[in-house]
Amino acid sequence: MSTNGIQVSGWGAVTTLGWSAPESAENLLAGKVAPACFGGAPYLINNEFKSFAVPYEGNPLDKAQKMLECALDEAIARAELSQAEIAEASLFIGTTGGLFIRNEYEFTEEVRKNPDKESPPISCRNRGPGEVTQLVADKYGIRGMAFTLSMACVSSSHALVVAARLLEQGKIRRAIVVGFEPLLNLTLHGFASLLLYDYEQCRPFCATRSGMQIGEGAGVLILEKYKKSSSAKNKYKFSGGYLYNDNNSLTSAGLDGELVKNVVGQTLSLSRLGAADIRGIKAHGTGTKDNDLSEGLGLLKLFGEKLPPVVSLKGALGHALGAAGTMETAVWLSCLEKGVVPKSFGFSHVDPQIGFAPALENKPATNGAYLCTFFGFGATCTSYLIVKE
Amino acid sequence: MPDLEQNIFTSPVPVIAASYLGPALIANQDADWDEKKLPLSPDDLVQKIIGQPMRRAGRFIKLVCCGALACVQSAPKEILRDKKVGIFLSTGLGNIDEILPFITQVFKHDGGFPSPNQFANSVSNAAAFFLAREAGIKGVVLTISEEEMSFESALWLAQTYLESGEIDLALVGGCDVFTPTAAEARERMNLTSDNSRGLPVGEGSSWLLLGQNQGKKLGDILLVCFTSPQESGLLLGAEQKRGFFLPGFRIKEDQIDNWKGKNWQIYDYLPSCGIHSVASAYGIAHALLSEKTGAFLHYNINSSGRHAFILAQKK
Repeated sequence: MSTNGIQVSGWGAVTTLGWSAPESAENLLAGKVAPACFGGAPYLINNEFKSFAVPYEGNPLDKAQKMLECALDEAIARAELSQAEIAEASLFIGTTGGLFIRNEYEFTEEVRKNPDKESPPISCRNRGPGEVTQLVADKYGIRGMAFTLSMACVSSSHALVVAARLLEQGKIRRAIVVGFEPLLNLTLHGFASLLLYDYEQCRPFCATRSGMQIGEGAGVLILEKYKKSSSAKNKYKFSGGYLYNDNNSLTSAGLDGELVKNVVGQTLSLSRLGAADIRGIKAHGTGTKDNDLSEGLGLLKLFGEKLPPVVSLKGALGHALGAAGTMETAVWLSCLEKGVVPKSFGFSHVDPQIGFAPALENKPATNGAYLCTFFGFGATCTSYLIVKE
Repeated sequence: MPDLEQNIFTSPVPVIAASYLGPALIANQDADWDEKKLPLSPDDLVQKIIGQPMRRAGRFIKLVCCGALACVQSAPKEILRDKKVGIFLSTGLGNIDEILPFITQVFKHDGGFPSPNQFANSVSNAAAFFLAREAGIKGVVLTISEEEMSFESALWLAQTYLESGEIDLALVGGCDVFTPTAAEARERMNLTSDNSRGLPVGEGSSWLLLGQNQGKKLGDILLVCFTSPQESGLLLGAEQKRGFFLPGFRIKEDQIDNWKGKNWQIYDYLPSCGIHSVASAYGIAHALLSEKTGAFLHYNINSSGRHAFILAQKK
């Protein structure tokens, strides 16, 4: 479905680089990017996995809640929504771990406080991913439709596409789309068990890459039908939203790039744009062998010599899983707002199988269309354009 | 735009097929079960419905696939061929049966390597992937989680996809599994004596196949809405039909009596499946497969006071 009439009226993000999207973008563009590090939170029990934690002193549960609220407050302020406009909005949350952090934190605290006792079995007391949505809806007084998409790495990118098509259909008035993912032992150990974790550095599209590194954060985009009266300096359109599930492989989007090429091709077709119209690509670029190979080949097949700058933000922000969609898009929007396409971090050698290097320098961000891609666990694919006007 | 206010369907959505599966793990039949003996092994059911074991899949994934495929198998043969089909899997708690043992292994071994297969099974959308593969479906495959409003949300969303023509058919269902203990299961669903009926905790995987079909249909979904009985003008119309009222698990006995007082017959499906987040899917599928005809109105409230109605009709 074409979503040509949808505007991004607000956005916000909390990432390892800052407690707002502009702060994250500023640090990214200035190259103030620290590598992933050990620990990151008192409840993380293994010191082998480096991760991109959001800096915070204090209780991890408070931090998780604060991440969510900061990103929401920032996006709502930018969109200049009144309380009545918030109330009539619909809420879309993309998260895979939800508030599972509570189980992990309470368990590790129990063990820490009782060193002489045998550790109890960990219990799971949270109410599923939908609990996050209820929490946000109650706190902000959001009374429209509410959806939680719990779909691993594409949770919030899929949520954006679903929200945009409901706006286009006239089924909802306004969408507040949230991605939220605190660091978890569950996912750190999980991806390590699948041999998809890079113990040294996240190196998207690099010949030496060997896996992802997990990040955390929250991102929010507010989507509305086009508002002519907006006071914003630049306008950003959400266009060509497309989601697709393949069923061939649980863990990869194929290896020949065909699936990636077809998915991105659909986005261009829905937006009535050609490859030459794309100014830059915010790729998924996890740093895993298979994902980067299929994505790289797919982009090259589609764009050929017209391949615009390709950027993965995961070398700087880590892979925030269900939050990646909105979090990375919000940071990307703040980069565009500053007039700059950021460079990719973590790259050193061209992979001959992929055949290109991602952007290694910041570049001017002119008006035009920027492609965002996400390819997740379960053969899930999301693709859309952010058009700067 | 009247739809916007109440999120009401503009036209009835035909139900081509339905299936329900409760804690006794017998598809489309009521059977005795006991909360203390849950959960039962699904392997015989898998063999019966899928025809071969799903050795590497977790229990949640097995129940999702069995419930959905039982629904598809009850539809006319080749129903999915050459059609654009969307999968809308709703779940309140997801594959918690895999998450718990995985995280236990993580903490037990303090940084060792727990089972990769168990992690893969624990990822939230793994079940939808397995179902898509078993059913040969590609395209729109969504996993929606909204506590006790999960099925209603998925059903509403599926209808919008059908209405837009992006898909021809929608396979919409709800699955939640019983993961011990019963006390923890009750806590996960935020069940207290004040906010829910005093029934055992159960589980289920119940599905509807929706869309236009030349052949027979079981009935129609007339509306899904998220407003209170007082706010919803359409409910006045539904009330006049005087059909069957299906109380969700947060609808207490005194409220049920109110509906009874308005001449609704009570269709109490919950003792058959027990309380689980997507029990409404079981209720609607059960009603549509029953011998009864008329209007079936399912109503539930979540713990924040949000309302959800599903109105189905069978002639």
